[in-house]
Formats: sequence, structure tokens, C-alpha cells
Amino acid sequence: MSLVNFTAREITCKIVYYGPGRSGKTTNLQYVYGRVPENRRGRMVSLATQTDRTLFFDFLPLELGTISGFTTKFQLYTVPGQSYYNATRKLVLQGADGVVFVGDSQARRFDDNLESLQNLQDNLLSQGVDVRQLPVVFQYNKQDLPADLVLSQEEMDDALNFRAVPSYPADALHGAGVFETLRGISELVLKRLAVGTPVG
Amino acid sequence: MTETQTALDRVTRVPGVRGALVIAAADGLVVAEQLMEDVDGQAVAALAGSLVLRLARTAESAGLGRPRFLHLRGDAGSVLAAPGADDLVLVAVVGPDANLGLARLELLEAAGRLA
Amino acid sequence: MKALEPWVVDPLETFLAESAARLTLLMTSSGQVVAQHGFSRSLDVMTAAALGAGIVASTEELARLTGAGRFEGLVHNGQRQSCLLAAFATPRGRWIGLVVFGPETSVGIVRLFFDQMVHQLVAAAPRELAPSAPMLAENFETELNASLKALFGR
Repeated sequence: MSLVNFTAREITCKIVYYGPGRSGKTTNLQYVYGRVPENRRGRMVSLATQTDRTLFFDFLPLELGTISGFTTKFQLYTVPGQSYYNATRKLVLQGADGVVFVGDSQARRFDDNLESLQNLQDNLLSQGVDVRQLPVVFQYNKQDLPADLVLSQEEMDDALNFRAVPSYPADALHGAGVFETLRGISELVLKRLAVGTPVG
Repeated sequence: MTETQTALDRVTRVPGVRGALVIAAADGLVVAEQLMEDVDGQAVAALAGSLVLRLARTAESAGLGRPRFLHLRGDAGSVLAAPGADDLVLVAVVGPDANLGLARLELLEAAGRLA
Repeated sequence: MKALEPWVVDPLETFLAESAARLTLLMTSSGQVVAQHGFSRSLDVMTAAALGAGIVASTEELARLTGAGRFEGLVHNGQRQSCLLAAFATPRGRWIGLVVFGPETSVGIVRLFFDQMVHQLVAAAPRELAPSAPMLAENFETELNASLKALFGR
């Protein structure tokens, strides 16, 4: 749940990057970390295995700037994608204000995307959160791969994006779509925060 | 029976003693205790541990060496403490009518055996 | 010392004075900071809170899995500094305390006054929630875009 400090006029929101293993969640955060000036970001923490797979979470605190007179801070988290880390995924998801679902556009990862999306819905439901009530955007990563290996944005939307929430094609490794995705989820989260009513 | 339990038994047998504890002074934690219900062992361990360490520093600064026995007297009783080996301290909480002389002897004797 | 809500200030100040703790964070179970003392950089505070909440969440899950009930606290002993991490219930939900302390105090003292602070916080917490929806200006999307563009240098 986002925190609003009326005295210091600060808003802090928690955004979780969710999706199947190796879809590029950590890469999104790494790209943001690399592009943002040092005085506007904290340390990026990665709790990873020896082979650089996310074990618990990656975490990046960001200071967005002043919006409507409130200093706005975002906490970006990723979850471990591999299916056997569901317990830690649930923990990280606790209290999320918004979710970026990072899908892997490769056709051979189609089922993994579906499974992960279903898992997101189940985990939110187990915490009493209806996915329809939570700001969510989709990012279809790895769109830079050869066209015969990947599904297009429209095909990915058909497969995953039943609620027609904003979706963004991306090549997170080189930064394409990363900014747009963060902008999209920020807008939804702040809109929801402002009106206090569900989005979508 | 362990040395710790023997020490606590000897001290708590003294008339007027309401409880005894072996504490780790640096951590301020209880190692073993025999207490009446109204004595808060966790609080006594934390505060007595801190007190012993501070008084030890005071004694050393004054060139008195290591303190052997501490007696804190209040309106409704006293706290007695005897440092033993390895940062352990034997502490007794005694009522106003306790036999302080005997309690002191037992405490010093038992603390010397703590390891 | 900074606190999100004024009723947290007195119990926290008493704790800091009695325990001689060097750094203290109070946070929600999802890692949002509600009060802080001793951290100079706000972004580092968020990182410490995220890690602290993660540790508490995983030890609580471990306790559940092993049938140990709920762990009351976790202490890391360091050579120069130690750390106490403990979760507690408040009328505002489950909160977590992260306390860093040095050899000038002890884990027993910190724990003792931490428990006292928890009692004071529970007693002081207003039962009614303060309003939590800020009024964002109509043009907040423009401000958001400008902020993000400035952030990304584009």
C-alpha cells in the first residue's frame, strides 16, 4: 500500500515487475539504474544466486520528482521468475501498488507467460487482492529478436491482455520500451492513488 | 545439577531473596533464572548487565581493578551482583528483610564457581 | 528523526534515549517506512526497509513451515554494530522495527526498551485512519511526464 506523508508532502509507491523466469525483469531495473542520475536513485540491491538468477528480489528506489507538490518516490521490485520460488514471489507482491507484467515475446515461451500470469492472479487473490482492482501494465520484451521467433504486440495482447490495459513492446537490454512502461504504470498508480478508486 | 543451577539454588535458599539470575553482562540477557512471579527477569538482566559494565569501567578508571561485588539498595529491597568468569554475572533480587550478609556470602561463593 | 504521523514521535524518542540505538527504522510489513532515526539518505532508508521487511517476511514464512509459530525477533551480532529486527502488531497493521546498535548498549537493553516502545505505540495509535488520498492536480500527468523525462535524460 502506498504511503502518503502529508507533513513532508511525500508519496511512496511500490511497483513490482512480475513475469516468467528470464523474461527481463531484472534487466528493466538495471537499465533504469544505469540511466537515472545518482542523486535520484538509491543502491540497486540484487538478491541473486551465483548464476545471477533472482533468488528473492531486486530492489531499486527512485525519486521521481515533485508531482502536484508531493515528492514522489517509487520502490521498484522484481520477483524471482522460476516457478519453485513462489513463496518469495508472494512475499514481494505484498502491498504492491502496481504490477508490470514482463512477458517474454518468444513464441516458445508462450506457455510460461500464461502460467506466470495465472500465478500472479492466484497470488494476488490469496492476499485478498483482485487483479482487476490493481494497476497493471504489460511489457512484451525481446521484440528485437528475429520476427519468426517472437509474437507481435497484438498476438501477445490477444494471449495475455484480456482487460486491454496498456501494453508496451520492449527490448529491455537496450532500453527500448523501458521508459514507456515505467511511465505507464506510474500514471495508473498515481491516478488510483489520487482518486482512491479502482482502475480498470 | 549444573554449576549454574547449583548457584541459583544456593542463593534463592537465603531468606528474603526473591529471585536469582545468571546473566551475560555484555548482552544483558538471562542465562538462567529462578524468580518469583513478580520479578521481570528480562528487565533485571538488561539493566543489571548494563550497570555492572558501567561500574566496572568506573572502578577500572579509578584504579580499583575489577569489581567483585555490587549492592544497589532501594526503598523496597536491593539488587546484588557478583561478576564471575566469562562475562557471567550472578544477580540476586532481595526484599527489605533479607539476610544481606548471608546473601552476599552465598553470591560470592557461587559466582566464583561460574564458568 | 522523521515520522510519518505525530503519535509515533514520543514512543520512538523515548526508545532512542533509553536504548542508545544508533539507527532505527519503523516500517510496514511491505517495507514502507513510517519513521526513521539516524539514516541520512532517504533512498538508503528505502533499501534498508525493503531488506528488513524481506528478512522478516521470509523468517515468518520459515516459522510457519517449520511449525515454530511466529519468531519474535532476530538479532545479528556484528563486531562493531549489531542489529535487531522484530515485527509487532499495531492498530495500523503489522509493523517492523529495525534497530542498529553498538557496544555502548546491549541486545538486552535494546530489546527491553523496544518492547516498551511497542506497548506505547499500540496505546498511542489513533483508531481512525487519517485521510490518505492526496489531491493531485489536474495536470499531474504533464508533471509526471516531465519528471520521468528529466529522470531519463530524454
